Amino acid sequence: KFFKMSSLFRGEDMTLCQIYFQSEAAYSCVAQLGELGIVQFRDLNPTVNAFQRKYVNEVRRCEEMERKLRFLESEILKEKEIPLAEAQEFCEAPKSKEMIEMEAALEQLEHDLQEVNSNKDALKKNYLELQELRHILTKATTFFEEQDRIQTGEQTVLQMETQDRIQPLRLGFLAGVIDRERVPSFELMLWRICRGNVFLRTAEIEETLEDPKTNTQVNKTVFILFFQGEQLKTKVKKICEGFKATIYPCPETASERREMGLGVMTRLEELKTVLDQSLNLRKSLLTNAALNVKTWFCRVRKMKAIYHTMNMFNLEVNQKCLIAECWAPVNELTRIKLALDKGTELSGSNIQSILNRMETKEQPPTHHRLNKFSEGFQNIVDAYGISSYREINPAPFTVITFPFLFAVMFGDAGHGLIMSLFALFMVLRESQLKNKFRTNEVWQIFFGGRYIILLMGLFSIYTGVIYNDVFSKSMNIFGSSWRVGVTKDFDFEKVTVFDLNPNTNANHSLNEIKMYSGNPYPFGVDPIWIMSINKIAFTNSLKMKFSVIIGIMQMMFGLVLSLLNHLFFGKMVSVLFEFIPQVIFLTFIFVYLCVMILIKWLRFDGSPDSTQCAPNLLIELINMFFFKSAADEDPCKALYSGQSIVQKILIVLAVLCIPTMLLGKPIVLYLRHKRKSQIGQRLSDSGHLNPIAQEDSTSDSTNEGVDLKIMRETPVGKDSPDTSHDDENENFDMGELAVEQCIHTIEYFLGCISHTASYLRLWALSLAHAELSEVLWTMILRIGLKSGSVPGFVILWLVFVPWAAFTIGVLLLMEGLSAFLHALRLHWVEFQSKFYKGEGYQFMPFSFEQILEQAENPDKI
Amino acid sequence: MFLDVLFNIDNGYLEGLVRGFKSGILKNQDYINLVQCETLEDLKLHLQTTDYGNFLANEPGPLTVSVIDEKIREKYVLEFQHLRNHAVKPLSKFLDYITYSYMIDNIVLLITGHLHQRSIQELLPKCHPLGMFEQMGAINVADTSASLYNAIIIDTPLAPYFIDCISEHDLDELNIEIMRNTLYKAYIEDFYNFCKQLGGPTEEVMCDLLAFEADRRAFMITINSLGVDLPKDERSKLYPRCGKLYPDGLNQLAKVEEYDQVKMIAESYADYRPLFENVGTNPADKTIEDKFFEQEVKMNLNAFMRQFGFGVFYSFLKLKEQENRNIIWIAECVAQKHRTRIDNYIPIM
Repeated sequence: KFFKMSSLFRGEDMTLCQIYFQSEAAYSCVAQLGELGIVQFRDLNPTVNAFQRKYVNEVRRCEEMERKLRFLESEILKEKEIPLAEAQEFCEAPKSKEMIEMEAALEQLEHDLQEVNSNKDALKKNYLELQELRHILTKATTFFEEQDRIQTGEQTVLQMETQDRIQPLRLGFLAGVIDRERVPSFELMLWRICRGNVFLRTAEIEETLEDPKTNTQVNKTVFILFFQGEQLKTKVKKICEGFKATIYPCPETASERREMGLGVMTRLEELKTVLDQSLNLRKSLLTNAALNVKTWFCRVRKMKAIYHTMNMFNLEVNQKCLIAECWAPVNELTRIKLALDKGTELSGSNIQSILNRMETKEQPPTHHRLNKFSEGFQNIVDAYGISSYREINPAPFTVITFPFLFAVMFGDAGHGLIMSLFALFMVLRESQLKNKFRTNEVWQIFFGGRYIILLMGLFSIYTGVIYNDVFSKSMNIFGSSWRVGVTKDFDFEKVTVFDLNPNTNANHSLNEIKMYSGNPYPFGVDPIWIMSINKIAFTNSLKMKFSVIIGIMQMMFGLVLSLLNHLFFGKMVSVLFEFIPQVIFLTFIFVYLCVMILIKWLRFDGSPDSTQCAPNLLIELINMFFFKSAADEDPCKALYSGQSIVQKILIVLAVLCIPTMLLGKPIVLYLRHKRKSQIGQRLSDSGHLNPIAQEDSTSDSTNEGVDLKIMRETPVGKDSPDTSHDDENENFDMGELAVEQCIHTIEYFLGCISHTASYLRLWALSLAHAELSEVLWTMILRIGLKSGSVPGFVILWLVFVPWAAFTIGVLLLMEGLSAFLHALRLHWVEFQSKFYKGEGYQFMPFSFEQILEQAENPDKI
Repeated sequence: MFLDVLFNIDNGYLEGLVRGFKSGILKNQDYINLVQCETLEDLKLHLQTTDYGNFLANEPGPLTVSVIDEKIREKYVLEFQHLRNHAVKPLSKFLDYITYSYMIDNIVLLITGHLHQRSIQELLPKCHPLGMFEQMGAINVADTSASLYNAIIIDTPLAPYFIDCISEHDLDELNIEIMRNTLYKAYIEDFYNFCKQLGGPTEEVMCDLLAFEADRRAFMITINSLGVDLPKDERSKLYPRCGKLYPDGLNQLAKVEEYDQVKMIAESYADYRPLFENVGTNPADKTIEDKFFEQEVKMNLNAFMRQFGFGVFYSFLKLKEQENRNIIWIAECVAQKHRTRIDNYIPIM
């Protein structure tokens, strides 16, 4: 009963349902279900094209509305000062009748806006032209002055030679404005085509002008061309046209220019006021729209989602009702029913929608009910594979074991503290941070795993205290159990290494001093070890043994979970021929190793004679397989009496497990199959029906007060792949089964050894971490601590920065990442391989919340 | 072979990208669905489910074929320009070569339009964006090919190809057509030599493709000129000389006077023989152009079998172009309710 309740443990109990909607009520019912977000609809017309479905027109209209809204939104975003109001807290899905109303409103708005825009664009264009003209007029003055100077020079020359016989030579000219970047090629082409007979003068316009088409600021240049003759004029005009230069009429005389300039100025003034008015009108229009755009978006998207979903439904023959098929959690059927009732009521229809449960052979989707805390851990598991329907979900255990294994590798209280503070910051500021840096992928990873990081940090503090490691230093909180005592005649000069005597009772006849109090340090490793030269040898032995013990415990736990899975799915054969041999093998060899470790810890206390005798456990384990034992040669090496004979028995029994697992299951299944087919033969001979058509276990499951009949019909959506191997008894393949079992067996027994060895990474990484942080301390920070007070202060101040940077960058980030990955591997490979199949598929409910979320952030998957 | 190792340093990203783009090319099933469309709206809806995505989503209705054409082209150009902007030498040069053919088309389009008294502003939007160059707008200044060269072409990369078409004759329809073919000939030969110079898989793939292109042009020029008043020696000058037909086939083609003789020549080339089989003039039969297109699609698909070469870029662009032609063809058929010939697209599989 308990397991049935907790959905995280096994995932929800799912069922396939069929819903009959009254045609008119379908829309509002689906809307209610979308708000609820706990049903996954199946596409009942997978072969029908998108554009041949029933509600394609409605979907299209929604898309058209979305387009208009996007247009509005982009126009609003162009105006920086107009704030885009957030959507209402709860925007209800609009009724189907409201569609026309909304369409009309949006149409009107778009039309108004376009009118204002075209008006504005025309004004702007006009404004630009006037501005350009103004620039030409001012610049032209200088050009003409120069030209006049040249011409008067020429004229005098001419006059001198020809004595009034010809009129002074007048050059034609064109003035205009061109984009600044086009000037060089413009000039080049003019020269080429007119063979140098055109004189070009340019002057840059200092201010940028706004291009009314693209609304960007562009740099332009005023130019003036002098040329002779009509033929050249047409050519030059063509070139100007080709280079998109605008030509303006420019009077020749200075007075006319001044007059025109004044006219242009007044027109500019007038135009400016009109333009401002038009811009204000546009702004007020947009400000009004900005209040509602997001809400409209939300409503339109909901509507589109509803019609999209309804496109997946089947139409009943007489068109009176729609049939839908969906997956839903059994626990939620009441709420679904209520939502349907509410939808029917809202639509004003008087015929209730009918919800039926259906039977299917198809594997239902896996659904775990998650909260923001368990989500991260479930993601870790799902990244390996979505759990098969109703199999045990490792996520609840991962919540503790994952941060713990991480911390074993990352054991440093100081680093753990920094990590947990960072995570705590993210957790406490959750609501503010949620919508920040949405596009930053790295941040999203950290933020998504904030609870994991928090637990990892806290556990690191714990293991750090056990290792007595804070930034590679130890803390002497309770007072060390060791003290260094020497007799008066101790010669400090000669001694470089000093052995501490572990005997609790000092042998005074040998002039020994009691150095060990006899009571171990109350919590964690004694701080005295930080000063010893054999510190690494000591912690290695400790951490190595602990990692083996932790690993074997976790694997054992995995096996227990596999037992629960076998029992849940009623596979007694697997219990007998898989679980039991596996447990025996693991216990008799590896748990026995743990027992040996514990005995060794208890029996050999460090006194000189016991140190001599302590056996090497690794060699002992290897010798076990050769039926040897260190106790045979030297009785003092025995861990307990009769060790040798016990070990022989254990090995024989453990090895016997291998053939049991290899052959047991295939043989039993084969015999069962044979018997079944014989019975079937006999029954069909005597004309009876097959009695083995067993009762389905789901038929007697209660469903919280909702009286639903179970349909015996097959679902309409026949896209299930299961129809092929409908009845697994039919195609029993002995060879395949044997091969599979063979692989499984080899994997497990070899795995036991390699996985145990693999857990040694716990030790290796924690060693690496401790050493790295120690190196960082001695190589960098100690430089500052070693020097005298004043220079030491300065050096420490300088040296702290690199030390802190390396601590964060290398020890926290890189080491943290590596420990994370190793913890991940230990869970996926070593732990989950014992019981987890991960062959399911995710439950993807039809939920407005998710649809809106996705529409807002299309990049986020 | 050793240099292949270094290929990915500069071009690995782009090659990956282009292969990704290629996998988004419409499949046969997509065409089957497209052909069933009743209206252009249906077409849009179906294209939404493909790699084209929401490329038409911001277009206010009603949808027309020209809008689809414009948007499809925009997407194509966007993809090309992304590739071009990230390319380094020699890939950048290679991609530039691809744009030259669009330049030739644009020049010819503008001159022809100008001959027909169309204004340049009206013609410019019809030019392919990949073949745009700065001086284009002023093309109507030129009346003869010599002035065209001196004023405009001289600043474009096409200048070396133009040497053979400089004359003082006024431009007319036939001259323009000859000019286009001369330009193309020079262009293909130059591109061919460039690829040869690059060596490796690029050479192997591209020279095959360009040889095919050259031969197709030779065949087409011959077939199209059969009823036209074009001297034979003029004609033979237009044949690109880098294909499999060179030199014997081209010599024979130069003397051809009727269609059956062309077919005879194709008989002796294993690659081209099948293309001339089963070609008829009935509406149900495939035209020789379609046959060549089909063959081209096949060759371009095969180009994707090779790695560490630039062939995939060229092939992708050609395939995409073919796909665009297909979509527009189907869209036209749908828009004009002219469904009998809707199946005449060339599937890319």
